[in-house]
Amino acid sequence: MKKLFLAILLISISITTFGQEKLKTTSGHIKFFSTTPAEDIEANNYKAISNLTPSTGDLVFSIPMQSFEFEKALMQKHYNSKKFLNTKKFPKAKFKGNITNLSAINFSKDGTYAADVSGDLTIHGVTNKVSEKMMLTIKNGAVTGTTSFDITLADYDVVFTKGKPSKNIAKSVKITANLNYTK
Amino acid sequence: MKSKIIKIVLALIVIAIGVVAYLWFMPHRNVQSVKAFKTIDATALVNEFLTDKEKANALYLDSDEGESKVLIVTGIVAKISKDQLGQQVILLKNKKDKMGVSCSFTLETNNQVNTIKIGDHISIKGVIRSGAEYDEDLDLIENVIIEKSALIK
Repeated sequence: MKKLFLAILLISISITTFGQEKLKTTSGHIKFFSTTPAEDIEANNYKAISNLTPSTGDLVFSIPMQSFEFEKALMQKHYNSKKFLNTKKFPKAKFKGNITNLSAINFSKDGTYAADVSGDLTIHGVTNKVSEKMMLTIKNGAVTGTTSFDITLADYDVVFTKGKPSKNIAKSVKITANLNYTK
Repeated sequence: MKSKIIKIVLALIVIAIGVVAYLWFMPHRNVQSVKAFKTIDATALVNEFLTDKEKANALYLDSDEGESKVLIVTGIVAKISKDQLGQQVILLKNKKDKMGVSCSFTLETNNQVNTIKIGDHISIKGVIRSGAEYDEDLDLIENVIIEKSALIK
């Protein structure tokens, strides 16, 4: 009887742990792109961290802001400075949210699924609600998440009204992400 | 008199072009040629961030231009992987620690990793990008991130 109880206990523990299993990445690629008649600016970051929990749809991100690399050194210096993203005070951008159409995604079946993601995005110390689509491609247990959306810089208190930056940096920038999740 | 003015104007134009060219072609900082701020053990570095995040951020991160401190980190190799750019990534972490220091090499220094094995005790020089953090609710492990790494022999 005691053994049976123990067996049931062990099974239920393993089910709960399995159910909470997370897909993780520590090398997500995030790119942002700004285009104006004056110039195109692109920056890449290969150090995004993200956890995705298939059973609950929970999705979290942490992006080290100083890991964005620009082609031009001067742009990178400006981006990091107090006037722009102030990456010393706000070294990480975060997202906490979840997939709202979880029933439409079968994590155990290979295929491509459109996930509706919504949650709180914090950049530069400012948090906004966002709702975006994320494509999930499932193949042999590995999951790739891709998304592309625009953010308005002013929503995150990144504002420049004078001089060159106001002409050369777009008011809204395109963010694309490629997340290579594994168990 | 006239030729003097022309000369001055020409000189100013040359200076202006020089300044613009300097700003435009300004090279990225060469992390490996910067003197290291300090040599520190991976566990000790992680613990500084876990103990007092604000203090550690203030000490190691640069606020003006994102040119944060260059460190030499020593520790045990726990994992070797590659990121989406093809850069080698070595995680320095003690077995008993939850978090470590994730050091990304560059396409130029990648081949230094070829001879490294899990369990080796090594020293890596690179620039710190962000600190360690652990969110228990989310089970989100954030290692210290070091980039532009090279092995120190």
